[in-house]
Amino acid sequence: MNTVVFTKDQMAHITINQYLQQVLEAVETRDGAFCGELLSFKHPHVANPRLQLPNPEEKCQQVLEPPYDEMVAAHLRCTYAVSNHDFVEAYRCQTVVVQSFLKAFQAHKEENWALPIMFAVTLDLRIFANSAEQQLQKKGKGKVGDMLEKAAEQLMSCFRVCASDNRAGIDDSKKWGMLFLINQLFKIYFKINKLHLCKPLIRAIDSSNLKDEYSMAQRVTYKYYVGRKAMFDSDFKLAEEFLSFAFQHCHRSCQRNKRMILIYLLPVKMLLGHMPTHQLLRKYDLMQFAEVTRAVSEGNLLLLNDALAKHETFFIRCGIFLILEKLKVITYRNLFKKVYLLLKTHQLPLDAFLVSLKMMQVEEVDIDEVQCILANLIYMGHIKGYISHQHQKLVVSKQNPFPPLSTVS
Amino acid sequence: MKVIFLFIFSPKTVYFCRFCRGFCSRGRGRGRAQGTRWQQGQLKEECQDESEPRGTCMRMCPDRELREREAQKRLHRFEVLPGTEKDRLPRADPARTVKEYSRPAAGKDCVRAHDLRPPSVLLETVCYLIDHVAVSPSLQPWTEVYDFVFDRLRSVRQDMIIQRTSGPECVAVLEKTVRFLIYASYRLRDEPLRLYDPRINDTHLQESLSWLLDCYSHGQHPHQEEMQALGLLYNLGSNRALQHALELPERVREAPAIRLALAVNRAHLERNPVRLLRLARQLDFLQSCALHRHLGACCRDLLLLYSHAYSSRNCRFPLQRLAHILALEESQAAWLCQAHGVTVDREWVVFSKVSYTEAPTKDLRGLHFCELVDSKREAHCCQDHPWMCLRLAIFVDPCIIFPISLKLLIVGGGVF
Repeated sequence: MNTVVFTKDQMAHITINQYLQQVLEAVETRDGAFCGELLSFKHPHVANPRLQLPNPEEKCQQVLEPPYDEMVAAHLRCTYAVSNHDFVEAYRCQTVVVQSFLKAFQAHKEENWALPIMFAVTLDLRIFANSAEQQLQKKGKGKVGDMLEKAAEQLMSCFRVCASDNRAGIDDSKKWGMLFLINQLFKIYFKINKLHLCKPLIRAIDSSNLKDEYSMAQRVTYKYYVGRKAMFDSDFKLAEEFLSFAFQHCHRSCQRNKRMILIYLLPVKMLLGHMPTHQLLRKYDLMQFAEVTRAVSEGNLLLLNDALAKHETFFIRCGIFLILEKLKVITYRNLFKKVYLLLKTHQLPLDAFLVSLKMMQVEEVDIDEVQCILANLIYMGHIKGYISHQHQKLVVSKQNPFPPLSTVS
Repeated sequence: MKVIFLFIFSPKTVYFCRFCRGFCSRGRGRGRAQGTRWQQGQLKEECQDESEPRGTCMRMCPDRELREREAQKRLHRFEVLPGTEKDRLPRADPARTVKEYSRPAAGKDCVRAHDLRPPSVLLETVCYLIDHVAVSPSLQPWTEVYDFVFDRLRSVRQDMIIQRTSGPECVAVLEKTVRFLIYASYRLRDEPLRLYDPRINDTHLQESLSWLLDCYSHGQHPHQEEMQALGLLYNLGSNRALQHALELPERVREAPAIRLALAVNRAHLERNPVRLLRLARQLDFLQSCALHRHLGACCRDLLLLYSHAYSSRNCRFPLQRLAHILALEESQAAWLCQAHGVTVDREWVVFSKVSYTEAPTKDLRGLHFCELVDSKREAHCCQDHPWMCLRLAIFVDPCIIFPISLKLLIVGGGVF
């Protein structure tokens, strides 16, 4: 057979027969990367009108063996649907692509050359599920998350095939596909707000001996999502570790991704006492945090409430509003430290704190509540000292009464 | 369409699906070969076009089940026709017999139209269960009432799932269910496990609540604020519930009930039990019932914080003040302190970091939050409290079929 190599530009103009020959050859030579491209919507061939066919089945059957014929036919039908902007149909076609791919994939015993195909078709599956859902929502049809949930089921069936590949040697193992699928699943679970479904996936990676061997891009994505999950579970130490890893190892050209990581890393760092610099916020266009940072450092509760209210929509959409509200505790600490510095004594009347809170317009605050806030700060280690109820005083330690934030907790 | 289910009208392949809360045909049986996945995909598509079943049973209990249970002597005490209790086969009172919950099983046809009740009948059924059974002073003991109502409410939800009911009736049924389960979680809190399982109650409550909140995502609903607030209080400290509330439209979020519930949650987030307990005083009775399960932990947290902050020799804290903060009787506060290793010396409490113990040394079930919960009950008895079924009757009028007796509610003396 004559081997013809087309450039990417030519791909946009080749005939259906040429295309099918390319696929056939890629399958026969087990060229997973090329085959993956031929089935990916990132590749220019999808814009080729000669390939956008509503009924390509017969042609495909003439050239390709089952189940590849089915897979490619569905892919071409999908390009047709996309060219018509019908994403519901595109999604339906893509599920057939994935299903027939799985049939072929399962038949590949002790080999994993087809992994790049899986990456391509599952990525497109998720994207089309997303677009299909948006299209349905616009028409007022369908339940939010329904399409994505179904896509997740398909991804799970791919995942099961990969995870259960115990027989093959490490180089031929399908387990190399696990992390990619997990990342796709995370994207869906975060979108439809079903974080509890992440747990078994995290466990699968934790117990895997490949966890540090996957590509850095996949690991960065993974750490980003696991970090966000830890944050949601209020495990801030862990969240900081994962998100810092993601931020440090994210490729420098991916500024958008770095910004996304920062949106979550910043609040966690702030909770642990590290305030971001103005420069950093400016560089990543995250000035929404600037006032919050200033309010917390100054112990200015009033400003903090204002800043939170001002950017409420942004913070809520990112899901960090609640974490930022937790910064109040640190703001109390900074405010009370100011009271201490002003009064220059180790026995501080509780009334002074009450006055400072009232100055900050904290609603309906009374002396009982002052004691409670102080008690919390003492318990968390932000203040070294004790309260004397009889004397209505806070007695602070002569040495280091307000330990630096980064040393606490 | 609110909940999308997949149907196959062949009894062998229908099973109850945990994922979609419906009966569907997704590959469950291990016997089904892997290779049929693709065919199933095709099946699903065909079945989605199938119209959902519509119930035609116009009574609370389908005739077939009524006869069957009568013949098998499986009628509940509350369903027997008065005067026939002593008969060899007690007769069923059609006005009081309600379809019971039965687990979907292989080979059972759950979608027969004459066994399913249409939404309006379901709502009437729930009104009967709440207004005539749950509140009835003559039906005793209440644990049995609870069992009965709990089971029958479950069968109502099952009928709704099979028919994919949505709309105002569905919302009203779920609202009443949630209120009932919240109230039950409070009223039965001290019952032994064999009579009341808080875990199961919680599961059903959460399920009904999340379904209800789903329903609220479109359209206007007169009781939305009340129910959102109840959800927030019942799930105090849950990030998920809070995030959901934050994403509500501003108009809803600004409702007084939700603002208060959010404030309670904020106090919890800031770990400020003093503020939390003070705000709890402003809650109404049912809101207090919802919050109740967290009050113990809240008081415990306060003792933990104070044990660290007031831990100094010669320092004492007045018991009276502490009891006031905790909204407990002095004796109860002292008892709680001692249960956690905090020393109480007559009218003084002596906190100490070292002596505080997290796990209570005593059974805390005896703890009663009179001020925070019980005292509100009486106040609400005679008031026209939004939660009471009476007001709801205006919303979707159940009086046509089951005239509610006003007297029953007030003479009943309870909250129902």
